[in-house]
Amino acid sequence: MCSRLIARVDSVCTHPVPMKFSVAFVMTLMLASVSMAQASVLFSTLERTLVVEAKIKEQEISSGIALAGVSHLVISWHLNESFPVSVGDKYVNVKLRLCYAPVSQIDRGWRKTNDDLHKDKTCTKGIAQQKYIFSGNSTTWRVTKDVPGAVYFVRAYAVDAEGNQLAFGQTTDKAKTANLITVLPISGRTGNIDIAAAIFSAFSVVSLTGFLGLESMRSKRTSK
Amino acid sequence: MAANSDFQEGNAKGEPVFQMTMETVGEKEATDLKGRKFALPVDSEHKAKTVRLYSVAAPHMRTFHLSWIAFMICFFSTFAAPPLMPVIRDNLGLTKVDIGNAGIASVAGAVVSRLLMGTICDLVGPRYGCAILMMITAPAIFCMPLVSTPVGFILVRFFIGFCLATFVSCQFWMSSMFNSKIVGIANGTAAGWGNMGGGIVQLVMPLVFDIIRRDIGSEKFTAWRIAFFVPGVLQVMMGLLVLTLGQDLPDGNYAELKREGEKVNDSFQKVFLYAVTNYRTYIFALTYGYCFGVELTVDNIIAEYFYDRFDLNLQTAGIIASTFGLMNLFSRPLGGVLSDVVAARWGMRGRLWNLWIIQTVGGILCIVLGLTGQLGPAIAVMLIFSFFVQAACGATFGVIPFISRRSLGIISGATGAGGNIGAVTTQGIFFMSSKYTTEDGIMLMGIMIVACTLPVIFVHFPQWGSMFCPPSKATEEDYYISEWSKEEQSNGLHHASMKFAENSKSERGRQSPLRSKEETVVVDGV
Repeated sequence: MCSRLIARVDSVCTHPVPMKFSVAFVMTLMLASVSMAQASVLFSTLERTLVVEAKIKEQEISSGIALAGVSHLVISWHLNESFPVSVGDKYVNVKLRLCYAPVSQIDRGWRKTNDDLHKDKTCTKGIAQQKYIFSGNSTTWRVTKDVPGAVYFVRAYAVDAEGNQLAFGQTTDKAKTANLITVLPISGRTGNIDIAAAIFSAFSVVSLTGFLGLESMRSKRTSK
Repeated sequence: MAANSDFQEGNAKGEPVFQMTMETVGEKEATDLKGRKFALPVDSEHKAKTVRLYSVAAPHMRTFHLSWIAFMICFFSTFAAPPLMPVIRDNLGLTKVDIGNAGIASVAGAVVSRLLMGTICDLVGPRYGCAILMMITAPAIFCMPLVSTPVGFILVRFFIGFCLATFVSCQFWMSSMFNSKIVGIANGTAAGWGNMGGGIVQLVMPLVFDIIRRDIGSEKFTAWRIAFFVPGVLQVMMGLLVLTLGQDLPDGNYAELKREGEKVNDSFQKVFLYAVTNYRTYIFALTYGYCFGVELTVDNIIAEYFYDRFDLNLQTAGIIASTFGLMNLFSRPLGGVLSDVVAARWGMRGRLWNLWIIQTVGGILCIVLGLTGQLGPAIAVMLIFSFFVQAACGATFGVIPFISRRSLGIISGATGAGGNIGAVTTQGIFFMSSKYTTEDGIMLMGIMIVACTLPVIFVHFPQWGSMFCPPSKATEEDYYISEWSKEEQSNGLHHASMKFAENSKSERGRQSPLRSKEETVVVDGV
């Protein structure tokens, strides 16, 4: 299929196809085939067997405002006591993820919730991965500087050895409205950037006016 | 006058367009204002008769290279944000509406600046026009690293977008430096290679971003800001090069020519009047909106489209998106070449048919692209679609130089502005809200392309005809002299247009030998 595609492009273009086009084709075909090969897990089929709690460490509260790059989240999880321990026989690891609350998903298709967990974009930020034990574990995580400003909750997926999700738990309710954490992001601007921008802008305008002035002076001299 | 007919016979022998050797036998050597000989063979207006891509000889080829590189860097700056959009939208908390507005803003500013640039080129010359614009918009690029709100983002993209008017100075410069027989290929190559900036940027910006993050160790939200210094610095450097190395016309700069009396100061009102009263201006502004406007729209949405619909990472989406713009390396020049090749046989009527066919096929392929759901086929369709859309742009500017000689600047500017209006409209209707998914938007855009290309059927030149109608008895001189009033003609202001009319007789194609023999006799008798 790859060679057919390349031959087709060759016949359209009169110049030979550059190397990078062929590479792009091969890469994307490989990606396409890989994504089609994996089976998809549906979120609606997962049971909520884990109990998850998250606290903003500096304030000792479970919902509020956290600062990116500064605040820490203390996340603890364990198997819900109302389930028998045997429920967790197939669980190998627990993946903790930071997920967008619905209010931060409005008008942003790249954060959309999809029942097919391969296509789901709700929980794109990974926090930690820990080995599963029924008595649970906890972790402290500093909110990294690349976390966008939005409203979040924490979800834990219990996964098997291949990484397929088997069960979950989350800090909020089913409607995802309670217990939410707001993260205030970093701006990304630094003092150096501000200064450099000012200097380069000034150079551009000054050198232009200088040049034009010089040319008009020169032409006045020759026309005299 | 005898020399003129010599020139014509020489041209009819089928001179190769891309030459490898200098021919000096049997041709009067032309000189510019300062008495220097030209490196390339020139016609009676001192415009070059060939394009030698490997040469940087002043003034023709040096201008060619300065012009397309300057335009390419402006394209680069205008579309520097889209490949980094996944990072920027997280940093600034943008919504789909904000991104849509910024995309529209980036091409909307150029609507006004392209119209103004046409006038500026007519009045002070393309060299000043191009350089001043580039260096005035560079501060806007340096403001992008300072942006922290969606409104700031939209405003900065709006101001950066003004520099897309260098397209007009580029086309104006090519039409002033190259003979009408090869104006299609000169315009197409310069503009096509310039448009490649929209493709190159999709590769370069993610790369620069990556290097800054890995090697300097900056945070994501700082790294994209530092990356923006690259287009800014390039633009300032290029502006300075254009000022120091560029030249307005084959004979010299506007200021020198005005002093020597070789260039006449034209009146803005007259130039403007002849542009707005020519109906062809409006038709081509509309059709250009649906080839170039579509190209701008796709430059804005394609990386995010592949990133979101096919779940690729930033670098991969950037590589695929870049191939769209990079096709310009040969697709837009080929559009111009096809226009010239078809004109040699069928004249202007051939150029019009060529344009209509290429653009309509592009529209059909756009519809197909929106309907394609698999990654591999989507890339293939996108590449073929990009070829036709960009070739249509090249073909359009094979026709524009013939609409008017006096108002070439304003008409080029109006067409270019039309391209941007098309981009603004298309993005506004189909890619702003969540009403249409991006793939539906692409399909509907294709339908609009086909519909808005139909007006080409109504373009009629009295001396050459139209798609469905043959020419009348009018001549090229009649058409071009009609732009000058009796008073202006008695003052001898129309001589440049007459030279152009003579050179444009090639647009009759190879079908009316009797008519041209008559003309040659008349010309000899003057």
